[in-house]
Amino acid sequence: MKPPRIRLMKDNIYGLMAEFDSSTELVEAAEKVRDAGYTKTDAFSPFPIHEMDEALGIKRSILSYLVFGGGITGLLLGLGLQYYTHVIDYPIIVGGRPHFSLPAFVPPAYELTILLASFTAVLGMLFLNGLPRPYHPVFNVPRFNLASREKFFLLIESADPQFDYPETREFMESLEAQEVFIVDE
Amino acid sequence: MSDTYQAPDSLNRLQTAALGIGGIGVLASLAGMFLQPEQALRGWLLGFIFWAGIGFGGLGILLLQYVTGGAWGVVIRRVAEACSRTIPVLFVLFLPIIFGIYTLYDWANLALAGTDKAIEWRGWYMEPTWWIVRAILYFVILYLMAHFLNKWSLQQDKADTPEKAGELLGMATKVSGPGIVLYVMLVTFLSVDWMMTLEPHWFSTIWGFLFVAGWALSCFCFSVAVLAHLSTRSPLNEVIGKRHFHDIGKLMLALVMVWAYFNFSQYLIIWSGNLTEETPFYLVRSKGTWGAIGLTLIFFHFAFPFLILLMQDFKRRAKWLAALAIFILFMRLLDMFYIIGPSPMVGEVSKHLLEVPFRVSIWDVVAPIGIGGVWFWWFVRELKRRPIVPFNDPMFQNAIKHGKGH
Repeated sequence: MKPPRIRLMKDNIYGLMAEFDSSTELVEAAEKVRDAGYTKTDAFSPFPIHEMDEALGIKRSILSYLVFGGGITGLLLGLGLQYYTHVIDYPIIVGGRPHFSLPAFVPPAYELTILLASFTAVLGMLFLNGLPRPYHPVFNVPRFNLASREKFFLLIESADPQFDYPETREFMESLEAQEVFIVDE
Repeated sequence: MSDTYQAPDSLNRLQTAALGIGGIGVLASLAGMFLQPEQALRGWLLGFIFWAGIGFGGLGILLLQYVTGGAWGVVIRRVAEACSRTIPVLFVLFLPIIFGIYTLYDWANLALAGTDKAIEWRGWYMEPTWWIVRAILYFVILYLMAHFLNKWSLQQDKADTPEKAGELLGMATKVSGPGIVLYVMLVTFLSVDWMMTLEPHWFSTIWGFLFVAGWALSCFCFSVAVLAHLSTRSPLNEVIGKRHFHDIGKLMLALVMVWAYFNFSQYLIIWSGNLTEETPFYLVRSKGTWGAIGLTLIFFHFAFPFLILLMQDFKRRAKWLAALAIFILFMRLLDMFYIIGPSPMVGEVSKHLLEVPFRVSIWDVVAPIGIGGVWFWWFVRELKRRPIVPFNDPMFQNAIKHGKGH
């Protein structure tokens, strides 16, 4: 009689992580992971790898659209604020100019455009990255610290619809990884 | 990979066509100077200042890319160098302006007559003789700067060791820092002499920067069009990548913004100062058809290219970027027309006009085409004389790698 196979439940682990020695190995493995249909994945390296977005099939961030929206909001806010104060709320004549003096309204409106666009860029970046985040399961892998020094890591989350513990583990081992770790929740 | 990086033969046909069209245009314009001297000369100045902007702008970009470094500088360098080597032909094209100084610039007549207090007070500086001496000086200094940068670049191609090539790059970089300062000062002085004196009672201290930025934009746009043409052909298709166009597109975006920023600064200060000696420039230019051209420039020299260039995908497609670049070049020409067109003609300065009827002549079209043809013919001639990329540059392999990336 065969011994019963121990099957870890999806709930117990955060995912599986493979360690690589070089960025080329990481990119090649990432391409295979993408082609195998995994979507909830991530890669970690000591330096930015430009090919990574494509290799992992990461879609372009919507941040640029948010920043554009932030800029437009700032522009309208700047113009609106000045129009309200100078024309509606407290109209006084300054230097013999009309209440609605567009050339004079441009610099503050422009500054508000930049301000809100850059706030959106910084805060949007933090929000989309899920930051600040005091705890992340990947740090449960002791060797993961090396991701900021000399090693390259590839992660498949257990939340991935295709994730299945023994199968995914076998698949990751076939990627010629140095080692495959279980990432505890 | 080809070792010589010779420019493709597809340029030859363009070159011949340019010479044909240019020759006819220039001859027609010169004939026009006898039929309608003033209109023809104003058209000539329009054409000259537009194409000179690309030539001088080439020197500016050359200096800039040596100082900043970067892959875009390596791929654009030979195009910018060829632009900067058109300075001698620009000088020849400048001669009609020297000979037509009394027909083109009303201040020259006023200086001669001694009837205008403001011009008289400026003394020898505003005498035609000194104006001509200065013009020649600008050409000589700009030519020398271009000459040495081109010379070292050619020596780099022939350098037999990487150390020697690096040394030449270092020398060009060292000279380019102070070179930029000198370039900006020269462009300030020459744009004041050649363009601002069309309105001799009016002045703007940001004038020179408008030309520095506008000409850099002109040359970037022209270079993008040339590079897009070359990028589909050997040998440049092996070198240039999407990312190079992306980088140059970003710089175009920056310069579109800088042009608008400088122009608006000038407008805002004159508008808020509201002084009688400054406002006529914009009073004339905000009425009737001139006003419509002003609005066209706001929307199509700034807003439209600005919004388009914000899009990442657009900047990465050589053909799209080149199409926009050519569109911006037409706006550059319109911008120069917006300065020259409404400016007082001979005898009009002392009238202090606050309204100028819309005026455009056939020479405003013929001269830019003619000068452009001759200039472009010379540009292609210079471009073909050297390898299309500085293949011996220490950063060359890196620059190729950068372009192929994402």
